Amino acid sequence: MPDPHRDPTLEHIDADGAIGEALDGIGPTRAGFLRTTALGSAALLAGLADVAPAARGPKQDTAILNYALVFEHLQAGFYTEAESLGTIKSMDAERELWARTLGAHERAHVKILKEVLGRRAVARPFFDYRGVTEDPDGFTRTAVAMEDLTVALLAGQAPRVSKPELRSAFFSLLTVEARHAAWARRIVGAEPVAEAFDEPKTLAEVDRVVRSTRFLVSRPRRESRRSPRFTG
Amino acid sequence: MSAVAHLGPGRRSRRELLAAGLVGGSALASGLFRGGDPAAAGGRSPAQDERILNFALGLEYLQAAFYAEADARGGLAGELATFARVVGEQERRHVAFLRERLGAAARAEPGFDLADVTADADSFREAALVLEHQGVAAYVGQGANLSVAGVAAIAPLVSVEARHAAWILDLAGENPAPAAADPATTVDGLRAALAEAGLELPE
Repeated sequence: MPDPHRDPTLEHIDADGAIGEALDGIGPTRAGFLRTTALGSAALLAGLADVAPAARGPKQDTAILNYALVFEHLQAGFYTEAESLGTIKSMDAERELWARTLGAHERAHVKILKEVLGRRAVARPFFDYRGVTEDPDGFTRTAVAMEDLTVALLAGQAPRVSKPELRSAFFSLLTVEARHAAWARRIVGAEPVAEAFDEPKTLAEVDRVVRSTRFLVSRPRRESRRSPRFTG
Repeated sequence: MSAVAHLGPGRRSRRELLAAGLVGGSALASGLFRGGDPAAAGGRSPAQDERILNFALGLEYLQAAFYAEADARGGLAGELATFARVVGEQERRHVAFLRERLGAAARAEPGFDLADVTADADSFREAALVLEHQGVAAYVGQGANLSVAGVAAIAPLVSVEARHAAWILDLAGENPAPAAADPATTVDGLRAALAEAGLELPE
């Protein structure tokens, strides 16, 4: 079975075929499916994903912006934790600049979305990155997967927001995340742009991938995973 | 890999770019989210979508022709040659996609004079940088002018243009993601930026 700590590419994160299953399961049953399987903070994501496509309007805009906010929290927390653990500092200058830039951008995205949402902004969820922020190699490869996933998320959501100005705003975040993804791919020696078109994902598809990483947890992590990882 | 090839003098300027870009980008994105739309949105309609997609087609024609000519001239080496070949193929697919989407309304491919901008590696790199980076800004600007269907149609292409921009910026020793939010530009803004780089956007 693939180990997400060692091979955290999107394919490996999707170890149990979550994406494929989600693709098959999209349709009228999607909302019910999400409601029955979601737990803890994941329920929050699922709830946000549970927006009928026909319900276009300010309420849907809020749900989409909040989903984007949770996702940006996930990313910002990931880079910030790698920074505070010294993982980013331990990398070569090129990678360090790359990781610091992305972290700063994701934190800026959180700030922007929180400002826009005001009191409607959801609280920051709890995360457990399961050790990948401690290991430069795992960190870098997870970053590649995460940036590519963000591109798929925003490409899918840009057309779903009702306010036209929000569509430009989503484009400006989408293009920055795509730059991150291309840069990350160059850092690991992969094709910066593998396809002529980036395939959008639905919220349900993104949600499945996020939950399969188990990065979202229902309560704060109490201790570093560092010791069990190196003694066990 | 060549990402480490430009360690050296370029480092500082990339850090400075980052610092400058973060502030500007955040302020800009807040403005966009609040409804400050630099592209001056008019009424969204199938007719307006058609005009915007034809503008996009003109840009993609220019990009495809530019890379095809650079490739044909054979003056590029290393990763710059790979960039021209890979990106050129993707721009051709974007052209095909937009032509199919527009059907009978699709504009014809104009002729381009690309001799100067493909004369050598330096000219090519500079022109490609403006073409991709400013192209992204133009797409961001048009996001608010397109209908939902129009946005859905081009979103998967817009992010690929941003990947191209990041790649060529990296090859030029610049920060691939210079701002937290990409700025928007108008069609006229794009036309002016391209003209300054020796490239002509079709009318």
